[in-house]
Amino acid sequence: MSKYSHYDVIRNPVITEKSTMASENNQVVFDVAMSATKPEIKEAVEALFSVKVKAINTLVRKGKVKRFRGRIGVRNDVKKAIVTLADGQSIDVATGL
Amino acid sequence: MQVTETLNEGLKRKLAVTIPAQDLASRLDAKLDEIKGKANLKGFRPGKVPMAHLKKMYGRSAMSEVMQEAINASVNETLSGRSERAATQPKIDLTEDQAEINRVLDGEGDLAFEVSYEVLPSVTLMELSGIAYDKPVVEVEAADVEKELERLFRERRGYEDKGDDAVVEDGDRLGLSFVGKIDGEAFQGGSSDHAHLTVGSGEFIPGFEEQLVGLKKGEEKQIEVTFPEDYGNKELAGKKATFDVTILHVDGPKSGEMDDEFAKSLGLDDLDKLREIVKSQMESALGSMGRQHIKRQILDALDEGHKFDVPEELVEAEFNAIWNRVKHEIEHHGRSFEDEGTTEEEARAQYRTIAERRVRLGLVVAEIGNTNKIDVTDEEHQQALIAEVRRFPGQEQQVYDYYRKNPQALASLRAPVFENKVVDYVVGLGTANDKPMTREELAKLIQAEDDGEEGDHDHHHHDH
Repeated sequence: MSKYSHYDVIRNPVITEKSTMASENNQVVFDVAMSATKPEIKEAVEALFSVKVKAINTLVRKGKVKRFRGRIGVRNDVKKAIVTLADGQSIDVATGL
Repeated sequence: MQVTETLNEGLKRKLAVTIPAQDLASRLDAKLDEIKGKANLKGFRPGKVPMAHLKKMYGRSAMSEVMQEAINASVNETLSGRSERAATQPKIDLTEDQAEINRVLDGEGDLAFEVSYEVLPSVTLMELSGIAYDKPVVEVEAADVEKELERLFRERRGYEDKGDDAVVEDGDRLGLSFVGKIDGEAFQGGSSDHAHLTVGSGEFIPGFEEQLVGLKKGEEKQIEVTFPEDYGNKELAGKKATFDVTILHVDGPKSGEMDDEFAKSLGLDDLDKLREIVKSQMESALGSMGRQHIKRQILDALDEGHKFDVPEELVEAEFNAIWNRVKHEIEHHGRSFEDEGTTEEEARAQYRTIAERRVRLGLVVAEIGNTNKIDVTDEEHQQALIAEVRRFPGQEQQVYDYYRKNPQALASLRAPVFENKVVDYVVGLGTANDKPMTREELAKLIQAEDDGEEGDHDHHHHDH
């Protein structure tokens, strides 16, 4: 897989209170493409950040149903990946790519 | 913080200051700590933002603030450490190199900058007691009083209608209507339905009033006059014009004598009382003239007695203020320096010495006030304000509001009062030589002084 498609897989890091808490367990949280699978995410993270990934958990947050001028619309679903890094590895999400 | 002196010449100082990066970093942390409770970032509740993230988001802007604070604090600290007072705001030169500044902002480089300023010279006061000055002693002469009375009488006696068959004489006040024409065309501002004119007062164009003498009430006459070459309105200057004048009414000066009756019309008991009042008014006018003369001498003596270098920047500021006013005046009146018999360079040099004198006197006066604990009380300040407000009859409220809203303007009122108090103090210490002179002599003296320096009253002042 080329580097460009790696960027397609991983959209952006999630920086929230919760993700900061997760980072204490050597975990990093990303928004990823809906179509991305765990092996793809693993490959992308390992390639882009040059780290060793121990495990991936994913979840899909369903988009909210919103009304705008009486019409019903749906926000996009978002897939998040919680990446557990191997011991001794780290990603500085603050620095960006 | 490291400070090295790179220049110490006369009153000028130049310092190179270096603030180490750690110093800045600790200040930055303190700053961020402050922000922390308030920062509202997406994904975090207020106060829960991790330091690293906060630094990333706010680090740079906080750093530039910190830099500013650090510079100010270090300059103040250095100045007080050296026990010097800067004459003006110290000038701070940061490096021009953007990369260098970026490194500092990132908290990696030491902050280095140069401060240049001029110190206020420490003023060593001369011996103040025993300054000799001439005290003008002017007697108000009876003849002067009579002259003043005469003037007042003429001004106040009023006019009365001379009747229908009146003939215009010199000294009469006329009501007239006129239409001014140039080449048969009425021109702008040359007509009036009912104007008042005192014949012989010279208010109108030369030749106009003279031609009215001998006219009767209700008579019409065409008058030909030529506008003078230096007339205010350029379009009319030097042109011939005709005026169709109709005399509407003729008022002759009221008969009546300068007697008790006249005094009564002014609300006084009798003529002697009026004479007394006129005399006392003249005396007080002379008194303030005399005071001005004495003040001038005292300031001269102070200027003479204190020779020290004055900060150039202050002189420069004062000079610019004077120069702008002079230039404005000259442009306004359409004159040039050549008309005044000087060149621009000469005038510049002259005003520069004046500026220097003002700055020096300002410093000396402030110092005298300081060492002798002369202060302007609020009461005196208030009086000065009231006096100032009185100068604008009809718009007292606006003037008052202006001063209430501008503390700086209010403070500027304090300066002349302070100066006068200091001068009074010095006068009290000095010795007076009574010097009898006439009114004209005194007026001439003051006139001569004013030519040397216009207006002594707006001296430069330093808040102490």
